[in-house]
Amino acid sequence: MTMSSTAHDELREQAAAYVLGALTQAEREAFEAHAATCVECKAEVQSLSSVAEGLAHAVPQHEPSSLLRARVLASVSGTSATAAPGTPGVASARVFAPWLATAASLALAVALGGYAATLRGRVGVLELRLHDATQRASESERQIADLRRTAAAAQSQVAVLAAPDLVRIDLAGQLRAPQASARAFWSRSRGLVFTASNLPPPPAGRTYQLWILTAHPAPISAGLFKPDPQGRVAEVFETPPDLPKPTGMAVTMEPDGGAPSPTGEKYVVGL
Amino acid sequence: MWLLWAVIDRSSGLHRWAEDRASDEAALTRMAQGEGDAVAELYDRHARPVYSLALRILGDVTEAEDVVQEVFSQAWRQASRYNTSRGAVAAWLLMLARSRAIDRLRARRARPKIASDEHAADTLIDTGLPVDSQVISFEQITRVRAALDELPMLQKLAIELAYFEGLTHAEIAARLEQPLGTVKTRIRLALMKLREVLAGTL
Repeated sequence: MTMSSTAHDELREQAAAYVLGALTQAEREAFEAHAATCVECKAEVQSLSSVAEGLAHAVPQHEPSSLLRARVLASVSGTSATAAPGTPGVASARVFAPWLATAASLALAVALGGYAATLRGRVGVLELRLHDATQRASESERQIADLRRTAAAAQSQVAVLAAPDLVRIDLAGQLRAPQASARAFWSRSRGLVFTASNLPPPPAGRTYQLWILTAHPAPISAGLFKPDPQGRVAEVFETPPDLPKPTGMAVTMEPDGGAPSPTGEKYVVGL
Repeated sequence: MWLLWAVIDRSSGLHRWAEDRASDEAALTRMAQGEGDAVAELYDRHARPVYSLALRILGDVTEAEDVVQEVFSQAWRQASRYNTSRGAVAAWLLMLARSRAIDRLRARRARPKIASDEHAADTLIDTGLPVDSQVISFEQITRVRAALDELPMLQKLAIELAYFEGLTHAEIAARLEQPLGTVKTRIRLALMKLREVLAGTL
């Protein structure tokens, strides 16, 4: 090995960032030049690369519109898109002699009388099943809606943190929750991400409320939240675009539904 | 990015099998011979994950659709230069989609481009790196999703800011107001954890 082991160690540290595309061009080129001749770094990239592909696949899956298919195919081949797969052909109609049709309808009418009673019974059973199925479907829809909300929340957290005008405020635990700590990230364009840990569970009928302190004397409510059972919080709040620049944040305990201005004890404060 | 592309191989993806991979390679060979129908075949197999990734990064249907069109156009143009012994077509398409989407994101933020997919495509040919043909299964993807949610928040944010927002580790460090070394370590820990999850050792 021609490279010093320190330089190698430093470059090897970059493998993870390289795989995620998180290196600058200069860093990337340096890493590639090294890895091309370094068995160990090559192996590191190889074993981590499946993670990048895993991340690519782990995103919520959506079906692209069928118009897009036509557009893509038209653009690449310069010809019109290939036909969509198999439209079913029209089945050839059978022709009955008129007398046969009449006889058949008579026989059918007789049979139907008896059959109708059986059918009524079956309809009842099917209605019950339909009722069950509808209930299950709405339960699934509810679960999907929950999942969507979770996914949307995670995405907007990242969007806030990627904002160019990001402001960070650290909040420290107060007397009521000395172990608690919190951090808020605010961007005028993208909103507010609030994270906290070690917050005690609020008693029944009470909720935490986050306040934004500005040059204006009255604190502005950012919203209400409840920590998870481990006392952790990761919430995104929208803030009005004309919000004065925050100078601090505070969390108080308030009655359910929140209060127009802080009334309860402070749990975490950052100035 | 050639190195990444060359080793990312991992044969295509979650729902995909060896014959799919062979079909992908056959489709690319036919594309190289100018057969437009082969693009339709490739599109039908991969448009969904490619579109979903672009949509996740850009959060905009119109832009995500533009990325899909660009990715398949690029695959069409470069099919003749694609060496099928170099690895999975699906992984290549996803990587192109990510690069294109991130380029758009950076343009939106009016930042200089860091990586160029044309560069990636130009250099991905003729590397001498080994190819791994491990297949990523549905089950593995499910485990990756679950593991992502269980990562410590700053680890998760760091890799999401890198992979889906296209920030460099220095930019992530500035954003999270963490030392660069800490961010590097977090990214590394997160990826190693996910690698273990993928390998099924956890």
